[in-house]
Parts: sequence; structure tokens; C-alpha cells
Amino acid sequence: MKVLMKVNNLCKNNILKDVSFSVDEGEMIAIMGPSGSGKSTLLYNVSGMDQADSGEVWLGDTEIVQLSEDDKARLRLTGMGFVFQQMNMLSNLNILDNILLPSVHADKSRAFHAKQKEKALQLMEQFGIRYLADRRITEVSGGQLQRACICRSMMLSPRILFADEPTGALNQTASEEVLRAFLRINAAGTTILMVTHDSRVAAKCQRILYILDGEIRGELTLGAYSEAEITNRQQKTADWLKMMGW
Amino acid sequence: MQVRLIKNDFKNNKLVTAAVICFMSVSAALMGLSVMLFGSLLNSIDRLMETAETPDFLQMHSGEIDISALNEFSASYPGVKKMQISTFLNLENGDLSLGEHSLADNTQDNGLCIQSSSFDYLLDLDGNRIRVSQGSVFVPICYRDEYDLKTGDPMRIGTQELTIAGFLRDSQMNSMMASSKRFLVNEQDYVRLKFLGDEEYLIEFKLQEGEDVNAFSTAYGDAGLPGNGPTITYPLIRLMNALSDGMMILVILLVSVVILVISILCIRYILLTSLEKDKREIGMMKAIGISRTDIHSLYFSKFLILSVIGALIGVLCALPVSIPMRRQMCNLYGMPENMGLIFLLSAAGILAVEGLILFSVHRTLKATDKLTAVEALYGIGRFENKKNRYLFIAVITAAVTALILIPQNIASTLASPRFVTYMGIGSSQIRIDIRQTDRIEEITGTILSDIKKDEQTNGAVLMETRSYRVMLEDGSEYSLLIENGDHSQYPVSYSEGSWPEGEDEIALSMLNASELGLGVGDYVTIRMGQNGTDKTVRCRICGIYSDITNGGKTAKARFEDDENSERPMWSVIYVTLKDPNEAASWTERYQDLVKSYDASIRVTDIANYVNAIYGQTITRIQKAAVLTMFSSALVLAVVVLLFIRLTIWQERNDCSLKKALGFISADIRISYLKRSAMYILTGMAAGVFLGLIPGQNLAGMLLGSLGASGFHFIIDPLRTFILVPLLIITVAASAAWISLKEIDRIKAYECCTGRE
Repeated sequence: MKVLMKVNNLCKNNILKDVSFSVDEGEMIAIMGPSGSGKSTLLYNVSGMDQADSGEVWLGDTEIVQLSEDDKARLRLTGMGFVFQQMNMLSNLNILDNILLPSVHADKSRAFHAKQKEKALQLMEQFGIRYLADRRITEVSGGQLQRACICRSMMLSPRILFADEPTGALNQTASEEVLRAFLRINAAGTTILMVTHDSRVAAKCQRILYILDGEIRGELTLGAYSEAEITNRQQKTADWLKMMGW
Repeated sequence: MQVRLIKNDFKNNKLVTAAVICFMSVSAALMGLSVMLFGSLLNSIDRLMETAETPDFLQMHSGEIDISALNEFSASYPGVKKMQISTFLNLENGDLSLGEHSLADNTQDNGLCIQSSSFDYLLDLDGNRIRVSQGSVFVPICYRDEYDLKTGDPMRIGTQELTIAGFLRDSQMNSMMASSKRFLVNEQDYVRLKFLGDEEYLIEFKLQEGEDVNAFSTAYGDAGLPGNGPTITYPLIRLMNALSDGMMILVILLVSVVILVISILCIRYILLTSLEKDKREIGMMKAIGISRTDIHSLYFSKFLILSVIGALIGVLCALPVSIPMRRQMCNLYGMPENMGLIFLLSAAGILAVEGLILFSVHRTLKATDKLTAVEALYGIGRFENKKNRYLFIAVITAAVTALILIPQNIASTLASPRFVTYMGIGSSQIRIDIRQTDRIEEITGTILSDIKKDEQTNGAVLMETRSYRVMLEDGSEYSLLIENGDHSQYPVSYSEGSWPEGEDEIALSMLNASELGLGVGDYVTIRMGQNGTDKTVRCRICGIYSDITNGGKTAKARFEDDENSERPMWSVIYVTLKDPNEAASWTERYQDLVKSYDASIRVTDIANYVNAIYGQTITRIQKAAVLTMFSSALVLAVVVLLFIRLTIWQERNDCSLKKALGFISADIRISYLKRSAMYILTGMAAGVFLGLIPGQNLAGMLLGSLGASGFHFIIDPLRTFILVPLLIITVAASAAWISLKEIDRIKAYECCTGRE
């Protein structure tokens, strides 16, 4: 499979120490590790949200670390998608407008807007929140809001989607709804790099990277996900994590 | 979407939006008003002076006049364009009445004149040169409102009567600060009434374009031409015209600048608080790749819309307020020539104010650049420094207090009888001016001896003014009007040094000192005796004082009796009474008494004199002070209301937690009140200090333009230390109380829910 992202010797403030790994196109990877191990920092540095001290991050042919802040922002807008633990949305916009927000800033033409609005409604339909389009963000549940955030992240068809503890603030049911949404977009071909604490979430990924003290200490390949194997995958993940000292 | 975002933001943050609009409107209105008034005033004055062809140089002279010498000088000096000698028939105020009002208490030199032949025209209210028919008189416009006059009313001079045919604008003497007023009559009437007064000459010159009026003034003095009286130049006339209304406008301008600074600070505070509140949203926008420019533009466009609304409200407020103010100026100086341009300038002033505010917004928004997406998302780092939060309210309270106090203190200082000592007038109660008589020394001596015998008087001092030739150390020579006498008894205020103690000392007026380039400790040589030929005295400059009398160019000395010296040009006797309350009756008695002398003698109660000269200016400044007080109180109310509301907004979680732990709303309110009160009271104390000390220096700079240097506030303690602080406390406490009601709406469970 073709490599989409390649990280070489990435260092940041002693939190990340010579981290190297690669992500294939269409892959869904979980990054796991105890609190303070550096997993979120890794996510922010590979996505260009934070500036690494040294090392390289390649997304296709583009090296991200050397880009200017504006170029990084442009790349995040058009080539990456983000989902965070806190469902960050603009409180002065309704759900649909929040989903449309990246599109509005990517291309200001009317024709594009009309097309994107159509796409937003389709995505909302797909994730079961179409009827929430005109609601304010305070008028929906956490799971619904997180699904809206996933819709927003998919609006410009990113090459890779970064998720930082996307189910961390959700209850069991909402977590499963969100996870299903991730599996669906991954199945449609979007690469996902996700930070999680939840071994059940990680068990649905194709690969798990274990990070400790800023270094990648281990890697577990689970292969393509299928619902039928879920118990086996979860056991395998749990055993591996135990071995890693989790 | 941006429009929806902004609209919703306005809807959800009504208080903040209203506060920003309020700051922008008040700043715009005050600046617009200042520019509009300044523009109207200067344009009207320039138009009047141009139409009237005001002289560039004017020498007042009483006594004999050598017309041929003047003609010869005028022809030989290349810079002279035109010269004319006008006459002014100085009348006794006690003989004058306008309508039903006697001018006995009037402190101006009122007199008759005829229309000038080639320039310095007296104009009617439409700006046309007046032609007066026999039996009619045109009265200075400033008297129309003062004495409630109308066309057809009589003007009486002793037993003679003229009919008021209209009102005139005099480009030279329009301002109440000019000490003379000209009434225009027909030539036949002038000749007929000549016996009623003493004639003075106005030797007037129009100079070629670009000619240096100071050089001309020196050449005139050096030529030994008639100079028994003050000299006035075009810039001084323009200044005098501009001052009475100009002072009020300067105060408004000063206020508008301070309000603008306060507005910028407040809007910056509001913006930083909003950014702090929106930090996670900003982080999210940064994280998903929305560019810095787009994030800026989201906030900036909101403020841009508010600034347009603020500017429009500013214009709508400035226009009606300016109407009565401009009406007064138009009465005095006529309509400005180009109202369109003035409105345009005013609009430019408003745009500049809004531009400055937006520039500050733009700079503040740069704070979002420094914070990375990760920092913003996880609440690391702050846009606003929490420690400075309460300091901000103290700074604003201090600024507002100072702003209220400064115009109040300027007005109370101008209104105080002591203020005349900054104007070159001794600190006595009564002043007697004796002029235009060949027997000046004899008459003065008689009056002085009468006064000294008078049981009501406490003391009296005679000052005699003569013209002397003065040599500087570099050998150059000038003419100088020197007031000779004991200056220690009723001293003027000295900005530097003190009064002359002996014959070898001299004090100079500010204008003379700066023109001659002299300071305390320098030396000049005075030529004494007839024509300055007998002896010379080398004098050390012992003091510098400000003076607006006699063209501002005077000096004070204490020469011993000089038998050979020329007779004085004028004399002044300063008098104080044992009972100051008798000043009015004493003045009246002496006004009657001096009528028996064949001389121009004026007895003035100095309190009345101040009122006559500065009354108009004081009224204007008092108006400006009231305007300032209301604007400042409004600004303070908005700032306190907003500050407390924003603080609660930021500390909402803490308040909720306190409630969850069992605190009641009143407890939390009192803790906020205590904290705010401490800073507001500190700010107020600092404001009183600022209003008194640096405010005094600032006002000194303004009053320096009036000629008052070395200025100290003469304050009204009740107002400064009781009323203004009470106003500040009332406004701040009311605003705080209203704002703190928000605490009642905070629920105890809010702190337990993750999401607001």
C-alpha cells in the first residue's frame, strides 16, 4: 500500500524523542499510551498544529515541519480533517453553518458554497443528524455534536483525518455512534490517525502504536476490521497492551 | 455566513455590543463636534477679517499726531500696501445708554467712529460695508444679546440721542476680550458729537503679502512715530477673536482626545475578554486550518460594522449639539464661508477617530497570532492579564475623574478675582485708569491724595506707564512701555522671578521676554529722561510675568522720580478697601467723582472687569465642563457596568462553585463590590491628583494661549473634593449594582456541567 504520511526523527521539547513511523493510505491507526506519554503532542506535531523542534513529517510530497504557519494552515484546511475530544464549534453559528465553516474559508465562490451545502446535508444524513441542521450547538447532545464535528472534518475530503480522544467525553452509546462514523469514513477510503485511551476503540483500528515517554515502544498490527472478529481483536489488543505495561 | 456569525454575536452579546457602540459614538461625536466648531470658528473669523480687510499693524495713539511723518514713513517702507489714520471718539461710559440700559458698569472703552476709507471696514450682519444715515448708529453685535437690543432702540450719549439702525461686526474688536468697542455713526454726527469725548487715533497699516509684521513693528518703533498707546498686529487680533470660543473648543478637543484614549483602552479590554472567552473556538479554527487573516477578519469586520454605526450615531449627536454653539459664533463672526468643507473636515475627524479605534483593534487581534492552535484549544496562555484587570478600572476612573475636574478647575480659575494677576493686573480690588490728558500727573496726584485720605480705603498704589528706549547687550535698541511704581503691594503673578525691588531691576512681560530673547538674570540698559538722552540705567531682569493688557508687551520697573522724564502715557491707581463688600458702592462714588476732571478716567471694580473680559469665555468653558461631566459620567457608567459584567462572565464558574458550596448571591456581590470599590476609590484619588497637578500643567498650556503663564489652579474645594468624588462614587456604585444583578442568574449546578 502507498505511504501517505512519513514521520522521521520528530523531536519536541523532550516530550517527543526521535519519533519515526509511517501511515499508509486508507489506514486507520490508533496511538495509545499513558497520560503524559506524548500522544497528543505527536498528533499536533504531525498535523502541523504545533511546531516540532526537529525531524520531518511528510504528507505525500509535502514536508510539513518546514512550512510557514500560513502554509500549514492552508494544508490543514484542504488536506486534513480534525476531530477533538471537546466538541469545539462556534457558538454563534448553527450546526449546519459550523459544518460549512471550512468550506467557506477554502473557496469563497457562491457555486462552491451551494455545492458544499448539498454535501454537508448529505454527510449529516449519512451520520443521522440531518434534522439538527438549524439547531444551536447548545441544543444537541455530545454524541450528535461530535458527529457534526466529523461531518465538518470531512467537508473538504481530507487526505487524512486526525482525531484526538474523539470519544473521551462521550458515554457508551454516543461513543459507539461516533466510532461507527469513523469506521464508515475509513471504509470509504479516508486515512485516520487517532489518539485514544480506549482499548475497545483501538481494537477496531488496523494498527496500534504504543508511545511511552515520547518514544514509540511498540506496534500491533490487527489488519482490516471486521465486526465478526471483534472479540478476538479486543483480547489481542488487551494482551498486547498488558505486555507493553498498560 | 460571516454576516450570520456577526448578527448572532451582536444578539448574544448585547451589552458588549452596546458598550462598543457607545464608546465609538461618544468619541466620534466629541471629535466631530470639536472639528466642526473649530472649523466654523476659524473659517468665520478668517472670512470676517478678509471681508473687513483687518489691518496688519495697528498703533493706537492719543495726543498730537504728525501725519506728514507717518505718510513719509509709509511711502518709504517698501512693505506697506496701504495706510490710514482712523479716529475713535472715546466716550464716558457713564454718559452712555443703549435702549433702557446704562453702560456705566461697562468696562469696555466705548466710542464712536466713522466707516474707514480704504480698509478695516465695519460690516453689517450680511457682511456688507455699512453706510450710516444721519441720526443713526450701528452697535457692536456683542451688545445685542447683552442688552437685549433691537433695531429702532435709542442710544443716548449724555443728552444726545441716536437711533440704532442695526448691528455691526468689527473684525478688530468683536471679541469681549478686546477692550474697546466701536459704534459706527455718520460723519456729520461724528463731527457734531465730537465734543462729548476724547479722540484717539488708530494708525493702521496693510502690509504686502508675506511681509514680516514684527520687522515692520520694529521699524515703526525705531522711526520715532506716534506710539502713545498699545500696538496690535493681525495675528494678535485673530487670536483675540478666536480665544473666547476657542477656549471652549480646546476644552472639548482635550476631552475628546482623553475619551478617545479611554475608548481605545475599553474596546481593547472588551476584545481581549472576548478573545479569552472564544479561545477554544479560535483554537479550533486554527486547528482546522482557517487562516490568521480569516480569523482576524471575523473579529475585525464585527468592529468595522460597529464603527460605522458608532460614526453615524456620532454624527447624529454632534450635529444637534453643534447648532446652538455654532449659532453663537455665527452671531459674533458671521456665517462660515464653506460649510460643506467644514462638514467634510468633521467627517474626516470622525473617520480618523474610528480609524484609530480600528487600528487598535487590528493590533489587539495580533494577539491571536502568537497563540498556537494547541495552546488555544487547551486554554494554555492568556490573551488578557488577569492581574491588570482591576488596574484597568482604576486607570479609567482616574482618567474620568481628571477629565471632569480639569474643565471645572479652568472655569473656577478664570472666574476667580485672583486670576487677573495672571493677566498682568495687580491683585487689588479696584483699578483706576487715567488717560488722555495733558494734566495727567496733576489729576493723578489729586485723585491719589483723595483716595489716601478716604477712610474706606486700605491702601493705594500708583503706576505710571511711559515709553522708554531700551538697549540690549548686543547694542540693538527697542521701545518699551514700562509701568513704574511699587509692584510689591499688589503684585501680578510672576512665572519666573519676582517684582523689581530697586532702580536696577526690571520685570518683563512674557511676550516682550520671548520677542527680545531675554530671561531672568539678563541685563538691559534703559535710556532715561526726555527723549531718552539724559542718563542710562543698566537693569537686571528680575522677573517675567504674563500680560494681556496693552497688547501684551509691557515691563515693570521701580525707577526713582525722574523730573526730566516725559509725562506718563497713562496711569493706573490700584486700590483696596477695608471692607471688600463696599467695592461696588465705592466704585460708583468714584465714577461720579472723576467726572469733574477733564480726562478719560475709568474706575473699575476688578471682579466686574474679569466678568466683562472673561465672562463670555467662562460661560463657554462652563458649558464645555457640563458637557464633559455628562460624557465622562456616561463613559464611567458604561465602563464599570461592562467591566463587572465581563469579570463575572469570566469568573462564572467560580461564582457557580461558590453557590454550590452554599454562598448566597449577596455574599458574592459584596465580595465583587469590595474589590471594585477599592480600585475605583484609588482611581478616583489618583484622578483628583491628576486633575490638580498634571491637569494644572495641561490647563496652563491652554491658558498660555490666553497669555496666562505660570498658572496655578484656583479651585473650588467643595466641587473638587466633595461634589465630583460624590458624582464618581454614585455613578460607579449604581453601574456596579446593576451589573452585579447578573450574579443572581448564575446557577449553583453550572460548575458541575462540563459544557456551558
